Amino acid sequence: MQLDFAARELTVKLVYYGPALSGKTTNLQALHRASDADSSGRLMTLDTRDDRTLFFDLLPLTFKGSGGLAVRLKVFTVPGQVIHASTRRLVVQGADGVAFIADSQESEAQSNAESFMDLKGNLKAHGLMLRQMPLIIQFNKRDLPSVRSDEEIAQLAAKGREPVYLAVATRGEGVVESFIGLLHLTMSHLNAEHDLAGKFGLNIPGLLEEVNRKLGGRQPVAEVLAASVGGALDVLRGEEA
Amino acid sequence: MTEPPSPVAARSERSLDELTASRLTLDDLVDRSALREMAGSFYELFQIQLMIYSEEGILLSAVAEQPELYAYLNEFSAPREALVELARRVRAIDPRPADVTEHCITGAVYQVFGLDYDNRQIGRLILGPFRSPERREVDPKLVELEPSLDPEQLKALFARLPLATTETVALIARHLKGALDLILFSGHKALLTTNMHLASVRDSFRELQEKNAKLQEAYNRLKELDRLKSNFLATVSHELRTPLTSIIGYSEMLSEGIAGEMNAEQREFVTTIHEKGEQLLELIMGLLDLSKLESGTMSLHKREVDVAELLDDVTSTLQPTARRKGVQLTSSVGAGLPTLWADPERLRQVLLNLSENAIKFTPEGGTVELSAAASFMDVDAGEGDADGMVLFTTKRPAMSLVVADTGIGISEHEKARVFDAFYQVDGSSTREAGGTGLGLSIVKRLVDAHDGRVEIQDNSPCGTRFVVTVPRRRASISG
Ligand SMILES: Nc1nc2c(ncn2[C@@H]2O[C@H](COP(=O)(O)OP(=O)(O)OP(=O)(O)O)[C@@H](O)[C@H]2O)c(=O)[nH]1
Ligand SMILES: Nc1ncnc2c1ncn2[C@@H]1O[C@H](COP(=O)(O)OP(=O)(O)OP(=O)(O)O)[C@@H](O)[C@H]1O
Ligand SMILES: [Mg+2]
Ligand SMILES: [Mg+2]
Repeated sequence: MQLDFAARELTVKLVYYGPALSGKTTNLQALHRASDADSSGRLMTLDTRDDRTLFFDLLPLTFKGSGGLAVRLKVFTVPGQVIHASTRRLVVQGADGVAFIADSQESEAQSNAESFMDLKGNLKAHGLMLRQMPLIIQFNKRDLPSVRSDEEIAQLAAKGREPVYLAVATRGEGVVESFIGLLHLTMSHLNAEHDLAGKFGLNIPGLLEEVNRKLGGRQPVAEVLAASVGGALDVLRGEEA
Repeated sequence: MTEPPSPVAARSERSLDELTASRLTLDDLVDRSALREMAGSFYELFQIQLMIYSEEGILLSAVAEQPELYAYLNEFSAPREALVELARRVRAIDPRPADVTEHCITGAVYQVFGLDYDNRQIGRLILGPFRSPERREVDPKLVELEPSLDPEQLKALFARLPLATTETVALIARHLKGALDLILFSGHKALLTTNMHLASVRDSFRELQEKNAKLQEAYNRLKELDRLKSNFLATVSHELRTPLTSIIGYSEMLSEGIAGEMNAEQREFVTTIHEKGEQLLELIMGLLDLSKLESGTMSLHKREVDVAELLDDVTSTLQPTARRKGVQLTSSVGAGLPTLWADPERLRQVLLNLSENAIKFTPEGGTVELSAAASFMDVDAGEGDADGMVLFTTKRPAMSLVVADTGIGISEHEKARVFDAFYQVDGSSTREAGGTGLGLSIVKRLVDAHDGRVEIQDNSPCGTRFVVTVPRRRASISG
């Protein structure tokens, strides 16, 4: 997080993490498509010729924020391929929140788990505990056959700590929901740490409304947040009240 | 003016956050000479002068030649001063929130546009001077300012200024900004790519070096430990075994009557000495094994194992014992069983121990059956917390090795305890089965070393099934 007092601007870094080919870039593309021209800048992709992310993708989003503090979101993806370990470590540095994009296919369960451990390790390398990082998990590619069943995921998600979303990123389904969930967690977390609402008049519900609107969301934010199949969005929601 | 430093040289390495979240300057993003080239071709096309300033007030690009009118005016001191003053004013214009139109003493027009990148103003474009259609003539006040100016020449030179409406110029500026935005975007991308590349190379290098150093250190330590351990084990086992073999050997010779006939009582005593000696030797060997396992110095030599072959080998080794006891020993393996990645010697030891037990604790007429089947085992990360729970409960391909007997069985509350070292059900010294109670604790440790599990189930209608489940493939989670 960076706070520019003079410009009354808050810059927040969100990182999409996950195994190779799980759909991180596709998530960002869908977000980019969904967002209106005013708030979204160009989607920058640093990739190889076969569309594999080489360094990262970056989608800058800017929102006015109703409390007199403009919010700039820098949304990154990491390269999922195992060999880009050090790049992932560099990209995740300074992240304020992480969306973990898992591949729902049964065959990918192991890669998901490995990538998650990798995330944990890389955060640790920067002195961060995964436990303290705002985190959502998205199970992407729900449209494919031989994916882990909704029931199985819901069951496990209910036991876990982090909100879990189901998505088909290629069709844009679940993408905005995941993003708003992540933003909600991240902003609440930053607010709890820095009292942004008290000191700078940041209005988080207002911001979420604005983001939701600019991303073409038709449902109210509360319903978007409720799309999560497990985990604890409420813990932080409780803190806010 | 001195040549500005090349932007490439100015780009010292910065972190990703600095390059994406903080303010970037125009100078960071574009190559000055490329910018000048672009401004040059713009001038060729529209004949309107273009100046590009960075937000910090640095002039990054301007067309070198002056309009003739201005060259002429600069020959006179009063107009020159007025022009300098104008230039100062125009440079200071902040085109926010809207574009600004500024009139020159000649009546010509300048327009100032903000240049944005990533929703921030990072520079200004100044287009002009040009004549707008509303003002066809040079400003008459110019001659009042400097009476020695030649009105005819002024008129002629003024007419050579480019003619454009402010609307047209605004449109041109919009297209120009569009093109510039692309250039800035590419520049930004290139800047990030180079920096990321450098940073990740450096990071990989640092990591490799650290790892190398650690590995070297660990390797040296292990080598030393290994040497000490081998020495120690070799010495101890030698020191213990040498006298023991003598005891066993001599007592055997005695009982065979080599040193003269003995009476029945003497023979019984000597036979007991011999048997106990054998037992002691076995115990020592078991302890040595156990100490190796415990100190963690036992290394697994894993390779592809053909399980059917392994089972055959174990059954044929134990067949004589089984026959002596009147127990039927068989092994059965389904067709197409995949291979297993494990240490075959250690697995053999596991199966031997289990099968020996099975034969030992099965009365005459019973059966002991060894079998193997592909299976799965749950993998939990073993992290002991709920982070990412949903991602971890995965099934891992495994192999189950089963030793089933129709023997005396193990009661529910004994099941957990039989793996303890020296633990025997009915631990009275007079029990007929013998043994030292080390077999299963060794089994447990060997299976643990394979990241596997041992389970005791009841066999039906009676007896015990020991099920050993070990991962079938190489583990790849490193975390
Ligand atoms: N069927 C299906 N395919 C998807 C979905 N999301 C992504 N894909 C496909 O998965 C492939 C990889 O997607 P990317 O977004 O490039 O994956 P990534 O996570 O960025 O991969 P790396 O950059 O290599 O880490 C592409 O062919 C996508 O079209 C989905 O929801 N359903
Ligand atoms: N197949 C079996 N059926 C019934 N009881 C068993 C069986 N296997 C093991 N046990 C019980 O578990 C105890 C521990 O077994 P373990 O193999 O550790 O020791 P042991 O066979 O007595 O001695 P050792 O293996 O050291 O010669 C045995 O003494 C026996 O009581
Ligand atoms: Mg990608
Ligand atoms: Mg035994």
